[in-house]
Amino acid sequence: MSTPNKIITEIFTPFQDYINAEQDIREEIRKIMKDIEKPLREITTILQVIHREPNCEQLNAACLNARQIFEEVRQGYAALDNIIPANQYYRYNDHWRFATQRLCFLAALVVFIETGILISKETAAEILGINDKANIHLDLEDYLMGILNMASELARFAVNSVTFGDYERPLQISKFVAQLNAGFRLLNLKNDSLRKRFDALKYDVKKIEEVVYDLSIRGLSQNTAAGDSGSNKEPQE
Amino acid sequence: MMFKEYAAQLDDKHDKYERIVKHSRDITIESKRIIFLLHNSNTDIESKRESILEEADTRLKAVIDINLRAVAEELRDEDSYQFLRAYTNGLQEFIEALTFYQFIKNDSIDNWEKINNLLKYQDEYGSEFTLVFPQYEYILGIADFTGELMRRCINTLGVGNIEDCFKLCNFVRHINTGVLGLMSHGSKELSRKAYVLRQSLEKMELVCYNIQIRGTEIPKHMLLNVIESSHVKDDVDEGFY
Repeated sequence: MSTPNKIITEIFTPFQDYINAEQDIREEIRKIMKDIEKPLREITTILQVIHREPNCEQLNAACLNARQIFEEVRQGYAALDNIIPANQYYRYNDHWRFATQRLCFLAALVVFIETGILISKETAAEILGINDKANIHLDLEDYLMGILNMASELARFAVNSVTFGDYERPLQISKFVAQLNAGFRLLNLKNDSLRKRFDALKYDVKKIEEVVYDLSIRGLSQNTAAGDSGSNKEPQE
Repeated sequence: MMFKEYAAQLDDKHDKYERIVKHSRDITIESKRIIFLLHNSNTDIESKRESILEEADTRLKAVIDINLRAVAEELRDEDSYQFLRAYTNGLQEFIEALTFYQFIKNDSIDNWEKINNLLKYQDEYGSEFTLVFPQYEYILGIADFTGELMRRCINTLGVGNIEDCFKLCNFVRHINTGVLGLMSHGSKELSRKAYVLRQSLEKMELVCYNIQIRGTEIPKHMLLNVIESSHVKDDVDEGFY
């Protein structure tokens, strides 16, 4: 019985080698993810300033700071691109899917604060440094997940802006999120996590509308009765 | 607006996924039928056995050349791992059928590399494309295949072919050893199948035990009854969903 069995040598030994090789790559990925998650946390912390400071300058400074730290993120993804084998992005993407979604959210938030517009998938990929890469790319669903996450953050932002006496911001946010909502309605979502996340968007929309409503009935915003897309949903209230 | 474009991209992906799932179901169904056919090969009549093996061979080739090819075509220029979940069930069932056929025919099964080579295709312009066939899927298929061997072992006993029972049991024992020897596969599916494999093996070992201990006491064709009454555990069907 001591001779190695053919079943073991032909079937299981190659399989063990295959597992080992895969484990090695996963180990490498985990190391790189640490380098990506560190700046991710930093940027998250920096951008929390939006809930504390109504000051425009400080917002811009935070965005600038965040953009600088994104450079570390880009380096991390460049390293990732080097070790992922061609056409195997989805074999390993569990490792970075969540971080990528968070980073998309952060990039989208920065762009919103700076310009007030919705980040495009291309721009998001550029900020993360995963555009024009050989083996990695920005998955559409990760990007969409990221901007849905931003909507929740903006709902909070709307509430806190009011606290700090900025009555224009909620109107801007309301309009923006309404457009976002309309955009998502064009998508045929399957019954998956993205769908569930989108279903939660209505609570963010509602929260923002309530803030706008509170401002309008008290005449606290300058263009209360303007009747633009931000306020024409108010009859629902 | 960019969302229109995103919508089109999402639809394309979902549609492709669904098409692959369909192919995968076809593969599963045909593979199950082939397995059923192969169970009938358990006969003393050599010519019948031959014709069953021939038919199984033709049908397995058809699965490779038509159904699996269709999946491979869908996945050309794609990251197959994105769609692996859509076709893994079909692929595993096919491996089960193919290895079962090979075992009945040759008493041995091909390794991953040989089977992987079957999944290489050429289009009409002569350029090659392959179906991505991860080794995990191979091992998962093998694990299912042992369930068929267990069934065959019990059927074989019904026919009174005791020698084959020991042979089948031994083969499964080696596979079980191999699975146990794997380190850190970390796959839930494989752990579950390893458990089923162990149960199949225990059942077969019980059969062999009974043959040994009662073989001389009762006629061979009655052994089956004895064994069936001696273990009441339900036959675990590994299913495919």
